[in-house]
Amino acid sequence: MSDRIYEILFIADPNLGEPEVDALAAQVQGFVEKDGGTLQKMEKWGKKRLAYDVRRHREGYYVLLVAEGTGAMVKEVERRLRVADGIIRYLTVRVDEELRKAERRKAQRALGEEKRRGRSGHSPARDTEVQQ
Amino acid sequence: MSSQGMNGDSRSFGRPSGRSGGAGGGAGAKGRDGKEGGGKRYFFRRRKVCKFCADKIDYVDYKDVKLISQFVPERGKILPRRMFGTCAEHQRKLTEAVNRARHIALLPYAAD
Repeated sequence: MSDRIYEILFIADPNLGEPEVDALAAQVQGFVEKDGGTLQKMEKWGKKRLAYDVRRHREGYYVLLVAEGTGAMVKEVERRLRVADGIIRYLTVRVDEELRKAERRKAQRALGEEKRRGRSGHSPARDTEVQQ
Repeated sequence: MSSQGMNGDSRSFGRPSGRSGGAGGGAGAKGRDGKEGGGKRYFFRRRKVCKFCADKIDYVDYKDVKLISQFVPERGKILPRRMFGTCAEHQRKLTEAVNRARHIALLPYAAD
């Protein structure tokens, strides 16, 4: 079973201090690792204004984690995020498929461009040959 | 890439002819004649090209608020794709991204 890549983005209570948010992030990392996932990246965006009120907060700390794991892991992590104090909103998104698709598209485009270059006129290499 | 070309073409032909069929006739045609000069049937409108296709953005990221907010006006509504000329595929991805961004309070559901 191949593991999937998920982005876990959560908003922490703005009333918490910086160290408490760090602790919370480490806690979430613990959730991930407890269920056999591995953390690939952690980004702290800091305190940001929310676009609308969430649980009567106007701002919040954004923390993004990118983790590799199974669906069961995400289910458990989500459950824990729901009950965790200090987390006012979270979002988990599976990204591996989309990214792979984008990657493939990019590769295909590069290939197509190369072909087009080859078809239109001579390739630079052939030009030099003719000159010689 | 190919889908973009298809869309662009069908739009540039489809819309103006649709207009002249419906509102065409007297007043509309006259106003257009005044502007265009000759007896031009369709007034030219700059063809909109999907920004995502043009910039070769394959993955519309919900975290990229700067990018997404270009397509979401102040009110916070997602506009129909005829407004921005996004292709069907990218409009779909844009919608998905906007909805995710909304959930995580990066974008408003409805402003004011």
